[in-house]
Amino acid sequence: MTVTAQAPVDLPIAATRSDSPAPKGRRGLVMTFVLAVIALFWISPLALLVITAVRPLSDFIGNGPLSWPADFTWKNFSDAWGIGNFATTYRNSALLALIKVPVGVLISAMLGFALAKLRMRFRRTVMFTVFLGLTIPIYITIVPVFIMMRSAGATDSIFGLIGPYLAFGIPFEVLVLQSFFRQIPDEIIEAAKVDGAGDWRVFFTMILPLSVPALVTVAILDAVATWNEFLFALILLNSDAHKTIPVGLLNFQGQFANNNTGLAAGILIAVVPILIAYTLLQRWIVGGLTAGSLKG
Amino acid sequence: MAGTVAVKPSTVKRGGRWSPWLFAIPALAVYVAFLVYPALSSLWFSLTNWDGLSATYKFVGLDNYFKLPHDPVVVSAVQNNLIWTVVTIAVPTVIGLLLAIALNGKVHGKPILRLIFYTPAVLPLVSIASIWGWLYNPQYGAINSFLRMIGLDGLAQAWLGQDSTALWAVMVPAIWLRTGFPMLLYLAALQGIPNELYEAATVDGATKWQQFWHVTMPSLRPAHYIVLALSLIDSFKVFDMIYAMTYGGPGTSTQVMGTWMYFNVFQYYQAGYGTAIAVVITLVAVAVGIPYVRSQTREAS
Repeated sequence: MTVTAQAPVDLPIAATRSDSPAPKGRRGLVMTFVLAVIALFWISPLALLVITAVRPLSDFIGNGPLSWPADFTWKNFSDAWGIGNFATTYRNSALLALIKVPVGVLISAMLGFALAKLRMRFRRTVMFTVFLGLTIPIYITIVPVFIMMRSAGATDSIFGLIGPYLAFGIPFEVLVLQSFFRQIPDEIIEAAKVDGAGDWRVFFTMILPLSVPALVTVAILDAVATWNEFLFALILLNSDAHKTIPVGLLNFQGQFANNNTGLAAGILIAVVPILIAYTLLQRWIVGGLTAGSLKG
Repeated sequence: MAGTVAVKPSTVKRGGRWSPWLFAIPALAVYVAFLVYPALSSLWFSLTNWDGLSATYKFVGLDNYFKLPHDPVVVSAVQNNLIWTVVTIAVPTVIGLLLAIALNGKVHGKPILRLIFYTPAVLPLVSIASIWGWLYNPQYGAINSFLRMIGLDGLAQAWLGQDSTALWAVMVPAIWLRTGFPMLLYLAALQGIPNELYEAATVDGATKWQQFWHVTMPSLRPAHYIVLALSLIDSFKVFDMIYAMTYGGPGTSTQVMGTWMYFNVFQYYQAGYGTAIAVVITLVAVAVGIPYVRSQTREAS
C-alpha cells in the first residue's frame, strides 16, 4: 500500500531515468520535507480509509475517526463483501473490461492505422469527426441509447454496455494510437510492401508489434475508464445480478449509512484492484498520458 | 490526386481505394451507431414533448428551449456549472503546476511523491464520492472530528447538507482528483526545457522570479494549452461526482445541467425537455472543444 510510505523511499518499479541525480544540500532536504508533508495530507483520506476498515465499529465510535485503532479486525471486509454483493459486481466489471478493452484497442488501432499510414479519402473529415467525440458529454446520448437497448432487449445486461463503452473509448484511443503509428518510418512499411505484403500483413506483423508500448498504455487507460464508468451502467442496469462496481458501490453506500467501518471496508474493496494495477503499471500510464497529449 | 507525390511516398502506391476503409469501418460503425447517431437523435427528441415512456409524442418545435430560461433550476444549474468550471480548472492547474515545479527541483523520493499525487486520478469517481461523503459525515466524519480536535468546534458543520457549503464541499474531491493530470503533464514539459535557457538567464542577472515568468512560463505554453483545453472539455460535462455525492441537493444548491437533465428524463418523465438541456450543454462543450480538436487534426495531417 502506498498509504503510510510517505518517507522518501524510492520504489524499484518507478526508477526513472530523467530525474536529476540524488540532490544534496539543505535546500533539497527542506523541499523534500515540505512535499512529504503535503503528500501525507494528500493521501490522508485513503490512509484514514485503511485505518478505519481494519478496526471494529465500537472502537471507531468510542475513540473517534482520527485515533489510532485500539483493536484490529478483518470482519468489516467479510461483512462488506457479502452485503455489497462484491462477488457479483467484480465478476461483471471484470467480464466487461475483458471483452471491451481488447476489442476497443483493436478496432481503434485499425482505424488509427488507416488514418496514419494509408491513403484514405476524407481522412481529415474522419479524424475531425472522431476527435470531436472527446468533447461530447455521454449524457446527450443516453435517451436514444436507452431506447435502442430496450428495443434490442439489451437493457439490464452488461453486453448492452459494450457498444456505448466502445464508442466513447474510440476518440481517445485513436488519437493516441494514430500519433504513435505516424512515428513509424514509412521506409520499413515500403520495404515490406515491395516484398509483397498487403496492408493487413503490414498491420499485424509490423505495426502492432512495433506499437506495443502505445497499445499497452491505451489498454490500461481504457481498462481504468471502463472499470470506473458510471452513467451508462446506472441507466442500463437495474437488477443486482448485473451491476458493475461503481453502481453497486452507490447502493452499498446507502445500506451502510451508519456503519462507518463497514463502509470504509467496502470502498476499499472497490478501489484495491485499481490501486494495485496503477501502482504496478504507473510507468506506462505516466508515459502514455504525457506522450499522448503533449506530442499527439 | 495522382500528382501529389511529395509527403508520403509509401502510402501513395498500394492498397486500393477501398482498402483503408476495411480498417476504418469497424471503429467508425461503432462510433456512429453508439455516439453520433444517438447524439443526433437527441436533437430530434429535444424538439418534442415526449415523456420517455409513451409510444406517441408531438413535435413542439423550439418550445423546450424557450422554457429553459424560465426554469429557475436551469438558472441556478448554469451558475453552478460556471462556478464548477472556473474552480475545477483554476485550482488543480495552479496546484499541479506548483507541484510539478517542486518535483522538478532537488527533491528526494520523486517517484513516490508523484505516485501519491496522481493516485486520486485513477480511483473510480463513485468511490471518490463515497470516500468524501464519509469524510464529510457531520457526526463521525474525519473533517468535523479534526476541527473539534484542534478546538474549532464552531466550524464543524453538515458540509454536504446545507446550501451555503454543499457546492464547495463537492468541489474539494474534484480538485483532489484532478490535480494529478496537470502535474504529470507539467512535469514532462518542464523536463523538456533546456538548462541553457536558465544558465543564460542567470548570466543576465535574472532573479528566480524573473526566470519563472520569462523562461519557465513561456516554455510551458503547449502544456498550458493542453491542460486548459482538456480541463475545459471535462469540467463542462460534470455529472457523476454531484450525482453520487449530493444528488443535486440540498434543494437545488448543487444542481448542474447534467444532473438536471437526468432528473427530468428519468424521474419527472420529461424526456423532451431533459434532452434539450443535454443539447445545450453539449453545444457549449463542443464549441469550446473545437479549437483543441482542430489543433489535433491539423498537427496530424
